[in-house]
Amino acid sequence: MAWKKMKSKKDGAIRDYDMKSPRVRVLYICVVILCIAIVVTCIFPAVWVLLAGFKDIKEFNRNATIFPSSLDLSKLKKTWELLKFAKYYRNSAILVAGATVCAVIFNGLLAYGFAVLKPKGYKIAYGLVMWSLMIPATTSMVSLFRNINLLGLNQSFLPLWLMYGANAFWVVLFKEFFEGIPRDLVEAAKLDGCGPLQIFIRIMLPLSRSIIMVVAIFAVTAAWSEFLLPYLVLNGSGKETVMVKLFTFKDTPTDAVSVLRAVLFSIIPPTILFVIFQKQITDSAAAGAVKG
Amino acid sequence: MKAKRKFKRSDLMGWLIMLPSMILFAFFVWEPLLENIRLSLYSATRFQLEEFVGLANYTKVLRSPDFLDAFVNTFKYTFWSLVIGYLVPIILGILISETVHFRGLFRVGIYFPNIIPGLATIWIWSYFFMPGKNGVLNILLSKFGISPQIWLNNPKMTIPLIIVTMTWKAAGSTALIYMARISSISPDLYEAATIDGAGIWKRIRHITIPSIIPLASTLLIMQFISVFQILYEPMVLKNGGPNNASISLLMLMYRYGFRDFDFPAAAALSVMVCIILVILSGIYMKVTARKDDYA
Amino acid sequence: MRNKKLMKKVLCAALTAAMAVGCTVPVLAEEGEKVTVTLGIWPEDTLEDQIEMHEGFVERMKEIDPNVEFVPAYYKYATETFMPMVEAGNCPTIFESWFTETKKLIREGAVADITDELEARGWLDKMNPVIREQFSDENGRVYGIPRDAYALGLMCNVEVFEEAGLVNDDGTIQYPKTWDELAETAKTIKDKTGSAGLCLLAKDNAGGWHWSNIAWAFGATLVDENEDGTYTAHLDSEEAIAAMDYVKSLKWDYDVLTADPTSEDWGTGFTQLGTGGAAMYIGANDAINQPTEVNGLPVDKVALVPIPAGPGGQYLLQGGTPYMFSKDATPEEINAALDYLEVFGKAPSASEDAVAGWEADYSQKESVGCPVIPRFPCWTDQEIMDAEQAVIDAHSNVDMKLFQDYFDLVDTDALRTEEPGLTQDMYAEITKVLQEVMVNEDADTAALMATANENYQQILDDKFKAN
Repeated sequence: MAWKKMKSKKDGAIRDYDMKSPRVRVLYICVVILCIAIVVTCIFPAVWVLLAGFKDIKEFNRNATIFPSSLDLSKLKKTWELLKFAKYYRNSAILVAGATVCAVIFNGLLAYGFAVLKPKGYKIAYGLVMWSLMIPATTSMVSLFRNINLLGLNQSFLPLWLMYGANAFWVVLFKEFFEGIPRDLVEAAKLDGCGPLQIFIRIMLPLSRSIIMVVAIFAVTAAWSEFLLPYLVLNGSGKETVMVKLFTFKDTPTDAVSVLRAVLFSIIPPTILFVIFQKQITDSAAAGAVKG
Repeated sequence: MKAKRKFKRSDLMGWLIMLPSMILFAFFVWEPLLENIRLSLYSATRFQLEEFVGLANYTKVLRSPDFLDAFVNTFKYTFWSLVIGYLVPIILGILISETVHFRGLFRVGIYFPNIIPGLATIWIWSYFFMPGKNGVLNILLSKFGISPQIWLNNPKMTIPLIIVTMTWKAAGSTALIYMARISSISPDLYEAATIDGAGIWKRIRHITIPSIIPLASTLLIMQFISVFQILYEPMVLKNGGPNNASISLLMLMYRYGFRDFDFPAAAALSVMVCIILVILSGIYMKVTARKDDYA
Repeated sequence: MRNKKLMKKVLCAALTAAMAVGCTVPVLAEEGEKVTVTLGIWPEDTLEDQIEMHEGFVERMKEIDPNVEFVPAYYKYATETFMPMVEAGNCPTIFESWFTETKKLIREGAVADITDELEARGWLDKMNPVIREQFSDENGRVYGIPRDAYALGLMCNVEVFEEAGLVNDDGTIQYPKTWDELAETAKTIKDKTGSAGLCLLAKDNAGGWHWSNIAWAFGATLVDENEDGTYTAHLDSEEAIAAMDYVKSLKWDYDVLTADPTSEDWGTGFTQLGTGGAAMYIGANDAINQPTEVNGLPVDKVALVPIPAGPGGQYLLQGGTPYMFSKDATPEEINAALDYLEVFGKAPSASEDAVAGWEADYSQKESVGCPVIPRFPCWTDQEIMDAEQAVIDAHSNVDMKLFQDYFDLVDTDALRTEEPGLTQDMYAEITKVLQEVMVNEDADTAALMATANENYQQILDDKFKAN
């Protein structure tokens, strides 16, 4: 009996003992159906992109249907080759890899300073970092772009990687986690003659796999999706990423079907990643519930 | 004495470890903010500053015909963002917390749009909102015998629908945060309420909702801030139209900076946006600091 | 001790990384005699056959000078995308722009001075003086060369006209001669075929661009250039308002436009025309590959006819496509790019290479089903133009009857250049009005045009002070 499963319900206002009432049962079924409808809404657009990718331009423009007339994979392959998507995938991979490494190392080190080392005056720096949580980076895009160019960092992945090393939100995530690591471990290592950097590498990092995973997942998703600064810095340099390509469609006449296929290509890698790591990813989203 | 000296050395060590990250913060976050202020006071040809012009860039932006539209739109975005973007995750969180069956599927399902890149989301929805019989939503409506709608082309609907798109993408992750909070509520509270004769609705109203209010108020400021980040959504969907109905402040900044080659004007606009944000954040921090002090 | 070493390593790594990046750019540039030219004039990704043709040109260039490397970097000019590329040093060595943008790009120092290179090649004197002025700064230095000129016409999807029964016995179509007729014709088409009669643009500046051509037919003059160097806008004139009311009536009285003009831009307009979503579209001779090669309309099913006449006369908006060069391009790079143009057949030259370039170009067009029709070069050398025309005639693949009326009118004074001043800003203001009248049946055109006029006048006054 499906109701038996209610015994395992540990949260929410509806408790297992309520289930005796038929009214509550109906209500519960309604809630489940509603949730199914919501999930369908969440997934349908992606499914539609897949379906629409199989249409050709005339079919797309004139036929008011959801399903394509044929499921011919060679059409997708053709667009893949024409748009040279392999190149964009490669560039995106480079961006994502570097960004993730920077995100973990630099934010981790800073948080280590805030949470464990606490050098004199660290609160000022911490305050500054907290304030930058409040001001979206996009607002200073113009002058950042200018600085990058003045320093000759244009046409390079480097500024885009390093940018991920300055994320206040991830610093806070790391900091809260590090604060939960018992001080005794740190003190013991200190007595053994370990310096602060050694403690970080030998004690903190091994104990922090879960939070590193969380930040890495956030960084991968963010770096894959990022397009504004990559577009400004890389467009035209031959290092364009998948998202830069998608953004240029805005001002470049391209037929709708090619755009849709490109959109499809752009969501395949994150989707695969999501399917593999769904548990870690949804857990890490909940872990995002930091104060401040 | 010795102890004090040692203390100083470890301080230095600490700062050294933090230094690379601090440099990155300075370069990517703090310096550009200050640089904006400087840029906004000069005239320039491309990136080369020319002469000090005082507040001329500010008056230029303020007098610009598009500024008023963008400014008014910011309030509309804020309103709809609170009505739709803020409430949907709360409702989602509460609903899914009530389920046992398929809970895993629901969690994964609602989070899925989050991993779709924002730009891809906008492209997809631009085809959903296409007017005429070929728009995806219109195809779906036609199955129910409803005539095609014009969606984003109705200037009254442009902003709410943009918010819907953004909510579709972002609501799942926020809902998971609420769910985590809800599942940490002690079952004893519900049991005690049941014994007191509280029905399900009453339990939600008096136990679930109060317990998520602190979290919700934290997320409120994030919601406010996110409104000021709106840039590419109206840009890609409707190019800010129809007739400026969806142009946002940052989109106007982008136009100044990258279409009109007018970096000082773009900087002036950013400074104004930052001032608004700092004021908002200041108010927020004042309000929350009293409630819980986390150090 | 060990941690000190580690620390050192980390800092060193950080420093070298920072320095390496700072240095890479100049170091690379100094290496060898190699010259790299990025070709913004490369065809768009999906045009396989054109790309193949250009690959042929690149091969030919390798024979001419093996030290030059050509890198494809397709770029379609857009006001919102150009500046970031320039600032980041990503601007292609050679790219196409618009006639209306040249003065602005020169003023901002975003393009290279190519006077000396042109002088050495003897191309300077072969340029049409009016056009040369368009590419020059106040000192007479020249910054670009013309690819060709265009004149807006009315492009028609003959298939849809056939479906609507609007064809003559000789295969020509019964196209509208006046804007009033256009509304009626469009209505017939919509009623009989379900396709939109006309695709009107209202998404971006292209909307204002097309509309200004309509406004002229209604007798409007949108901007006056004053003697003191300032400009006066007349977007709120009776004629301009009448033109706006006219397009409004196409939407709300006749209902003959595509579902969403505010989503239509230059590219989607051609998709609508090419796939039969719309029967008519304002388009120019140099974009004839768009409905056909790009969007699949059979080569013999496209017609280009004159823009309809209105109460104020009949005008074809004339503009053009310049080639311009990155401000960062060295003389060697500019010369290599100019060589490339010669091989491509876009230079004032009828050399063997140029003829081979035309041959490649027009036979490629013929083979992919793109109409081969005359173009309007902006060079004064009649011999060269005749030589090119001979190649065009040899590859002709269309019934010129479908184009004749248009080309007849091109030789008259119906041609009119775009409005002076900050033309793209004017288009932007007009596009806003177009968007409003396309989505709001009760829009007050007079008031909207008055606002647009006020806005545009302010932009003009900010930029141009009386001298």
